[in-house]
This record gives sequence, structure tokens and C-alpha cells, in this order.
Amino acid sequence: MKKSKNKSKKNIKNFIIFPVALCLVMFIFVFAVSAPFISNIVSIGSMFMADKQVDYSKSYDNIFIPTDTNADTVNASDVDFPGIGKQFGELSIENCDVDAKLFYGDSSVPLRNGVGIYAGSFIPGYGRTILVAGHNNTYFNGLKNVKKGDVVIISTSYGNYKYKVTGTKLTTDKDKKAYDLSAKKENLVLYTCYPFDSLGLTNQRFFVYAEKTSGPVITGLYE
Amino acid sequence: MKKLIAIFFAAAIIAASALPVFSAGLNSSEQSVLSNMRTPANMKGNSVYVPASYVNQAESYFNTIDMTADQASKINGIIGQGRSFLEGTGKSGVRELSSSEKQTLLGYASAAAGVLKMSAAAGSDTNKVKIISKSGDTIVDDSTNVIKATGAESSVVPAVILAVTGGLFLLSGTALVLSKKKLSYEKIEK
Repeated sequence: MKKSKNKSKKNIKNFIIFPVALCLVMFIFVFAVSAPFISNIVSIGSMFMADKQVDYSKSYDNIFIPTDTNADTVNASDVDFPGIGKQFGELSIENCDVDAKLFYGDSSVPLRNGVGIYAGSFIPGYGRTILVAGHNNTYFNGLKNVKKGDVVIISTSYGNYKYKVTGTKLTTDKDKKAYDLSAKKENLVLYTCYPFDSLGLTNQRFFVYAEKTSGPVITGLYE
Repeated sequence: MKKLIAIFFAAAIIAASALPVFSAGLNSSEQSVLSNMRTPANMKGNSVYVPASYVNQAESYFNTIDMTADQASKINGIIGQGRSFLEGTGKSGVRELSSSEKQTLLGYASAAAGVLKMSAAAGSDTNKVKIISKSGDTIVDDSTNVIKATGAESSVVPAVILAVTGGLFLLSGTALVLSKKKLSYEKIEK
């Protein structure tokens, strides 16, 4: 009687607990390795499997309407100034695999869906500093390919802007000299965490600096 | 402590935000408030400025509203009172302000926000400033740095850490069970 009890215990161990435990271990291992890519795979899968267009505007407002206008100026009254957290444009860098939605504000929702302008800086066309943040494992991972002279394109509803990359800098997140929010000249500053492929938190930031080469100037700012 | 001064000015900014009328650009009233914000407080010879990021936010916001001369006058009055208060403390920097002085400064901010049926508050460490509208919406939340944490998307990191930890835990557990099993077989063989 005792022997049969021990045997059944062994059977439970050998045929149930161990296989289940091993399956779990394998599942967790595969998940851990593939976690960074899962959301992308799910997104792509949903794109093909969905029977209707996904409404991405539910998590944030989008006021971006692409335009072909190439005017040198645009009146301030024609600019729909974005509220915090709204998508109002797109940002891309030729040859660098950077192509993202551009938000006003850099909290978690904008950075999960694209790149975001710090609200304490300015939006394009105002002749001031534009400070843009993006995650290193998603939308700004391509900053690792940026070279001097590359062109950053920002498209908004009120005009399209181009900026030429003038340099890069690796520094810490506390380095206030890495940007100048008081500058009176339009300058674009992009940044992300460094190293580019690290998963952990880091205090290092990779900054990309660019100067405006084209795009409408906002007029009528001072009445 | 700079944040506490910032809340004072931010409250003044928010005063303008309650205006329902939209106007692009900066009118003379808005320009006067911005100019006032850029004027430093003289604390025992030290010039104390409002952070550029706050002035920029005000400027951006003023682009979306239309401030009247009367409203600008009130806001400038509050800014002036706050500046006079700071200069009258006899301290050489904002970090030297006592707890009660900080509360007085916060009082100015709350009073300014209260006129517009908004509330302003600072955390006990005075590093986290919040301005909340009448409807409960957070208008200003100064609890984050200029440069954000842009490492791997935050929702992925905990999941990965949890998965790896769980995996290691299960692996060690399985190894323990297997080693015990091996020992018991060896005993039987003996």
C-alpha cells in the first residue's frame, strides 16, 4: 500500500510537475528574450488580422493634417497650437531609420506612441529651442546612425521643416549645458538614453543637435 | 526651493489660462507679464530668475489665449508682491527660506489661483508642484525633470525583469528537486 502511494507520488512528479515546470521555464525564457519585440509583432499581426481600421486616436488626440505648403511664413493665427499630449506632426531622419509621430509634451503616452517635445521648449517655426525626447529601444533607436549633415524633417499641419545635423554629444541627464532653453535662434535638440540597446535605466543621454535650413517662420507673434 | 518660486509664477500664468477667448500671438498685456517674469528678484545681491522652461511655457500658453489689460495688471501685481516678499526676507537665496516663508510664498500662489477658482499646491519637500483646475484637471505638474528617462519603454522593463526572475526561481527549484531525486536513487542503489 505504501509502495503504491510512493509510486503514484513519483508519477505525479515525473509526469506532471516536471513537465509543467519545464514548460513554464521555457515559456518565461522565450518571453524574456522576445519581450522587446512582442509589442511590435502583435501590432503587425493586428494590422493584418484586423477586420477594420484600428482607431489609434483613442489614447491621444491627433491634430496633424499633412500639408504640401512651402510658404516662407505662416501667420500665428493660422497655427493650431497643440495642447499637451496631442500629436501635431511627424519627425523623420533620412537614412537613419527614424520615423515617428511628433507630440507636444514628453510624458509616457507620447513617448509610447512616438517622440515628444518638452513643453518648456517650443514647437517649430517660433525661432527658439525645440527639445525632443524619444525612447532608445523604439522611435529614437535610429539616432545611433545619425551623422553630421543628415537632414531631420518635421512635418506639421502649418508647414514642413528641415534641420541639418550639426553634431552629437554624449553626456548625463543632469548636464544643463546640453541644451539652452533661452536661445533666441531656432535649434533642434533630439535626445535618447544611451547605450541605444540597453534595457536598464541609465543616466547617460545621447544628444543630436541640428539647425534649421528651411520651413515657414511664424509671424504675427507680437501685436 | 526654486520650484516654490516657480509655483508662484506658474499660478500667475494659470490666472491667464482661465480666459475663454482664443487669440494667436502675444498682445501687449501678455508681453508685459512675460517681461515681468523675466525680471529677477534681488536677494541680498543675488539675482534669482524664474526658470526659462516656465517662462517658455507661459509664452507658449499666451499664444493660445487673449489676456486683457486688467488681468495682466492683477497678475503683474501678484508677481510684484512675490518678488518684494522674496527680497524682504533678507535671505541671499531661495534655499535659505524657512518653512514658514515657503508657506507664505505658497500662499501667494494659492491666492492667485483661488481668484480663478483653481488650486495650487506643493509637496512637503516643495519639489513637486501641482496646479489643479476647478474641474480637477491637473494643469501644471512639475514632478518631472527637463530631460526624461528615455530608456527601454518602461512597461517592457518590469515584465522582462519579472520573467527573468521567475525563470531563475523555477530553474533553481527544478534543479533542487532533481538533485534530491538523484540522491534518493543513489541511496536505493546502495
